[in-house]
Amino acid sequence: MPTLTRWFLRLGLLYLLAGLTVGVGMAFRVEWMPLRPVYLHLLLVGWITQLIFGVAHWMFPRASREQPRGREARGWTILGLLNAGLLLRVLVEPFAPDAGGGWLLALSGALQLGAALLFAIHIWPRTAAR
Amino acid sequence: MPVWSMRLQRSALIHLVMGATLGAWLLAAGSTGLTLPYDRLMAAHGELLLVGWLLQFTMGVAYWMLPKHAAGDSRGPAGPIAAAWLLLNGGVLLAVVGQTIDGATGIVAAGRLAEAGALAAFAANAWPRIKPFGAGR
Repeated sequence: MPTLTRWFLRLGLLYLLAGLTVGVGMAFRVEWMPLRPVYLHLLLVGWITQLIFGVAHWMFPRASREQPRGREARGWTILGLLNAGLLLRVLVEPFAPDAGGGWLLALSGALQLGAALLFAIHIWPRTAAR
Repeated sequence: MPVWSMRLQRSALIHLVMGATLGAWLLAAGSTGLTLPYDRLMAAHGELLLVGWLLQFTMGVAYWMLPKHAAGDSRGPAGPIAAAWLLLNGGVLLAVVGQTIDGATGIVAAGRLAEAGALAAFAANAWPRIKPFGAGR
């Protein structure tokens, strides 16, 4: 398994654990209910989407003989953007939505959008029918 | 990779970018105090990413990776998977458009029905392929 995939999968597992912890907290403490968007994004972006990114980078058909998994640096950039964006959102959204944190939330959205766009560019040639 | 997996996965990637763009726009609009119909746009964001991206990408991988048949069409007839692709993408489009128009519940319902039809067509293809290696046709 490529190193980049190991990072995607292990970070994904950490988000799964964090998401389930928030979910349990929401079940027991009504004060945790505003964390619902964070809970959903931990599981749907941090866990499932990150797992898909990592496995697709590993298992999809080769891009070329010279670079079988495409440009490695782009893969690391996707990992960085996705996790920086998600972490920023997780840290800012519950604690500072009205205290000057708005532009940080906007930045987190831009970082995650960058990751999505780069992943689409990265994996597109590897989905070609053969 | 089979051509229908390619179509499902590439359509899913387009939905991923569209859904993430809408999500980023909603976060940015929130920081500028811009007034938007948040509930409706959030529903469209969820539809694009849950159905258009996650579900569709999973279907594309499953069509590619599930055990093949030893005789006849190796991945079954193309009709059901083609119908699944058409119905899913048409359904997401209808549901997203319906969610952004006030009171257009009929359009949303039509989209959801199309999505359900897509899943039924996908299941018709996948069901006989969920089997032990070497079993069946």
